[in-house]
Amino acid sequence: MTTTKPATGLSKKGLSAGSVGLIGAIVIGISCIAPAYTMTAALGPTVSEVGLQVPAIILVGFIPMLLVAFGYRELNRAMPDSGTSFTWATRAFGPWIGWMAGWGLIAATILVLSNLAGIAVDFFYLMLAQIFNNPDLADLALNPFINVVTCLAFMLGATAISYRDMRTTQKVQYVLVGFQLLVLVLFGIVAFIHVANGTAFDATPISLEWFNPFAVESFSAFAAGLSLSIFIFWGWDVTLTMNEETKGSRSTPGRAATLTVIIIVVLYLLIATASISFAGIGTGEFGLGNEDIQGNVFFALAGPVLGPLAILVSIAVLSSSAASLQSTFVSPARTLLAMGHYGALPSNFARVSPRFLTPGYATIVSSVVASAFYAIMRFVSEDVLWDTITALGMMICFYYGITAFAVVWYFRKQFLASARNVFFQLLFPLLGGVILAVLFFTTIIDSMDPDYGSGSNIGGVGLVFILGMGVILSGIVIMIIQAIRRPAFFRGETLSVGVSNGAEDDALDELPV
Amino acid sequence: MRYIVGYTDTPAGADALALGVRLARSMTATLDIVTVLRSEARPTLVPSDAGYERFLHETAQGWLKDAAAVVPRDVPSEGHIVYAESFARGLLDVSRDLEGSMIIVGAARGGLLGRATVGSVASALLHSAVVPVALAPEGSGSTVGLNGLTRITCALGTRAGADELLDAAVLVARAAHIPLRLISLVTLDMDDMTTPPEVAERAATHAEQVLAYAAEHLPNDLDVAVLTASGNRVEDAIKHVDWEPEELVFVGSSRLAKPRHIFLGTTAAKMLRELPVPMVVVPRD
Repeated sequence: MTTTKPATGLSKKGLSAGSVGLIGAIVIGISCIAPAYTMTAALGPTVSEVGLQVPAIILVGFIPMLLVAFGYRELNRAMPDSGTSFTWATRAFGPWIGWMAGWGLIAATILVLSNLAGIAVDFFYLMLAQIFNNPDLADLALNPFINVVTCLAFMLGATAISYRDMRTTQKVQYVLVGFQLLVLVLFGIVAFIHVANGTAFDATPISLEWFNPFAVESFSAFAAGLSLSIFIFWGWDVTLTMNEETKGSRSTPGRAATLTVIIIVVLYLLIATASISFAGIGTGEFGLGNEDIQGNVFFALAGPVLGPLAILVSIAVLSSSAASLQSTFVSPARTLLAMGHYGALPSNFARVSPRFLTPGYATIVSSVVASAFYAIMRFVSEDVLWDTITALGMMICFYYGITAFAVVWYFRKQFLASARNVFFQLLFPLLGGVILAVLFFTTIIDSMDPDYGSGSNIGGVGLVFILGMGVILSGIVIMIIQAIRRPAFFRGETLSVGVSNGAEDDALDELPV
Repeated sequence: MRYIVGYTDTPAGADALALGVRLARSMTATLDIVTVLRSEARPTLVPSDAGYERFLHETAQGWLKDAAAVVPRDVPSEGHIVYAESFARGLLDVSRDLEGSMIIVGAARGGLLGRATVGSVASALLHSAVVPVALAPEGSGSTVGLNGLTRITCALGTRAGADELLDAAVLVARAAHIPLRLISLVTLDMDDMTTPPEVAERAATHAEQVLAYAAEHLPNDLDVAVLTASGNRVEDAIKHVDWEPEELVFVGSSRLAKPRHIFLGTTAAKMLRELPVPMVVVPRD
């Protein structure tokens, strides 16, 4: 415990009292990535884009994520702020771009919240069907009304947990993450056993060609696949920014991040190769090319692969979604809070619940928007899960891209100061930013095609395009309204444009390392 | 003497602060207004964020500043932000470190008609503190304000711990120059629907004993009254006693308490449900 008088500010923030060890950091990293949920949501759409080359895309997709994450870490060190991308982009490029970066982050997390809740609903009814041995129960998830109501109930639960800041014990976290990993490995191994025994649905022999990114048919397929694979590593960057609280030597966070990503990549490769070998990429009942199952592949494959043990997959995906719902809720809420704090949004958003110490108002607003968004999408889209994931990839590219460029611009006076800076403040983020920008624009252009993604369209324009553009345009509209009503922020009075002077935040110097 | 006020920017926090001011004034103690933030030691699935932690710290400083503005000038006060796993833990730690003489918290919301209910924080304190814990009932901050104490009531049973309890009550009554009232709770240990004559007799005897004890041990300069509370249940008995809005009730700890620790007994817990005035729970001797 530490005691500080109000006047002395940041001298000790209590971080010294608690720190996360190596295993703890890995557990947080993996639970933020939520591999069981991520794979079931992203595998189908990725297969539809790049076919057999999913393993190659997984390997390549990590590169832009890593490059941007390095830049993210630099900014987090120089200006730790709960607004992250919003604050950093504002400091680097001024209020307008900063506002849009914040908007992009909020939109991306709200998209993923609705997707997460949607996946959870599917698996909830699948689990009921497995428990009661009644396959009809699983079909309840197809009824849009039941689906939306269940989803709203889940969102309500997740909101309450976030608002009240209820937390599971460390032991429970370890068990949940460990269980998730075990089930996924089991799934992979059993799928391969089926392939070996000739009992697979559409046995497809693994070939080296799967790992060759150049074998992808077209650049737009490659770009679409990459933007999806950025989603599958989304959340990994937290292991890098946990610096301040990881106990032990300075190398612990680095090791945690490395080990997390190795575990995740190996796991993804295992699942991807196993699923493709087992089910092929055809359009048959369980084929990964079947549009009906692509939005949620484990939902369809768990039974054929694991038989009576399929319920384990349901539990794993549900628990992974729950954990992810909890960690994901925090990020739009904190960004909204920062935006309220700096006057970019009404000051209500900056309210902290004095009892639970959470950004209460912002949490509730995010939840309401995500719920409304899901409810509307469920009725508009042919395949809500698939379309939200694709649009999500686009939004991640948008705000990560801006953040990456913000790194370069903010550190422009010092990035040549040392060899380390050249890599971490110039080359890595710049390259990452360029890749993300290319992905973003390619996806926008391609998604105008009504056949893009799940084939949902409105008036002959792809739904993903409408979603992406709708999010960005509505952001611009709201930004202009805010600029008229709350001009201080947009005049740079609350958060000024700046450039790094090479000094790290004072607070970080005193942290235990 | 330093009194520790567990403060949050909520009505319950304001209740605690008002009670703290009243007590500190009577006892010429200083106030330490404490807000507890969560330490990172808590297990979490959500990665903590240095920026948010700083924002919280600044917000908490603002809360403490607002709280300090409520405290009158004649009461010296100091604000503290403390990091701990839980609110209760933080208060216990700070009370140990600052050698606090009392911990003051607000009762949880949700009690009916201004009656106190024990929240999780108060409950943790009431079962583990080593100094007296004062509970401000809901809304007392706005109804009673910062008025001085008018009377001390001390609830005595036949159980061990009464001496220590009496001493604590006498101390406050003397310092504040206010009357002391002793309530005999012996009847309340019985769970009968009607009070049999022998029990009534025992109650009377106990009340006499208490008075005799008071006459013998209590200083002469103190205005002491004795009262027997009766009713089928503790709650009924408490309801039928008259309470001044500005008085303060002292109760002892259960026999289950470790020596020099607080443990809220069942009778005290039942009293708490009905008491419209603040209650101080004193540790066992």
